[in-house]
Amino acid sequence: MTPRQSLSRLKNRLLARVFTAVPGLAARWGQAMAATGGEIPWAEPRKPLGDAVLAVITTGGVHRTDQPPFDMADPDGDPTFREIPVDTPGDALTITHDYYDHRDAEADPNLVLPVERVREMTAHGVVAGLHPRAYSFMGHIDGRHVETLKRKTAPEVAERLAAGGVDYALLVPA
Amino acid sequence: MGLVARAVEARGIPTVALSIVREITEKTPPPRALYLRFPFGHALGEPGQREQHLAVLGLALEHLFAARKPGEIRDAGLRWRRERYGPPDWDALRRRTSNLEP
Repeated sequence: MTPRQSLSRLKNRLLARVFTAVPGLAARWGQAMAATGGEIPWAEPRKPLGDAVLAVITTGGVHRTDQPPFDMADPDGDPTFREIPVDTPGDALTITHDYYDHRDAEADPNLVLPVERVREMTAHGVVAGLHPRAYSFMGHIDGRHVETLKRKTAPEVAERLAAGGVDYALLVPA
Repeated sequence: MGLVARAVEARGIPTVALSIVREITEKTPPPRALYLRFPFGHALGEPGQREQHLAVLGLALEHLFAARKPGEIRDAGLRWRRERYGPPDWDALRRRTSNLEP
């Protein structure tokens, strides 16, 4: 990483702390964002949750320590994803994402990847099963990577979930 | 996040997304969202607060079955660090996540 990239990452991390502490700034940023038009897809729930398998997807930049980190040098973000077995111990998980303050999420990964909480729900019969694989993206995708996410990586995860017999998906943001 | 939810829903899998910035969610609406006035990185709440996490998840999963139109955002109505959370009402949650009829 060049000194310029290091400086840019430091700036992003400091900004992320400000955005986390002052939610009103994020709201203003959201108002300035481009809208995504088009019809919103809809699939009707057809199975009681107590008979269903639920998958967890996060955009919090979570990955296993032995997986490649998300690319922080590209200002448009990284549209790839990581597949994470849900029985990965917490200390084998890490977060690469310079655009939010993830110190609390590092301490308790359930804040962005709530697999332990969904397991409690399965123990109480609310959900029949937790899908054995979770999927992780980083948010903050911009520029040309938006199309990659829309046309390639997000549909690839959808395909894997369908092939794995997943009934419902829960998405958790950064 | 809205884009990922849309891709999964388009493949026939119903989704529910947590949202912490309503303005961003409204720009690229996922099919169903639960909105929380919580800081970035804290959609489930505070670290180690199990009952808070379960309350948020419970509201999201109820919304999965209660939402009737694409892009419906439900406000969780939870105040950051100003709520008291008790043990989940598992019976009520099972009931509200098994209703397939409007």
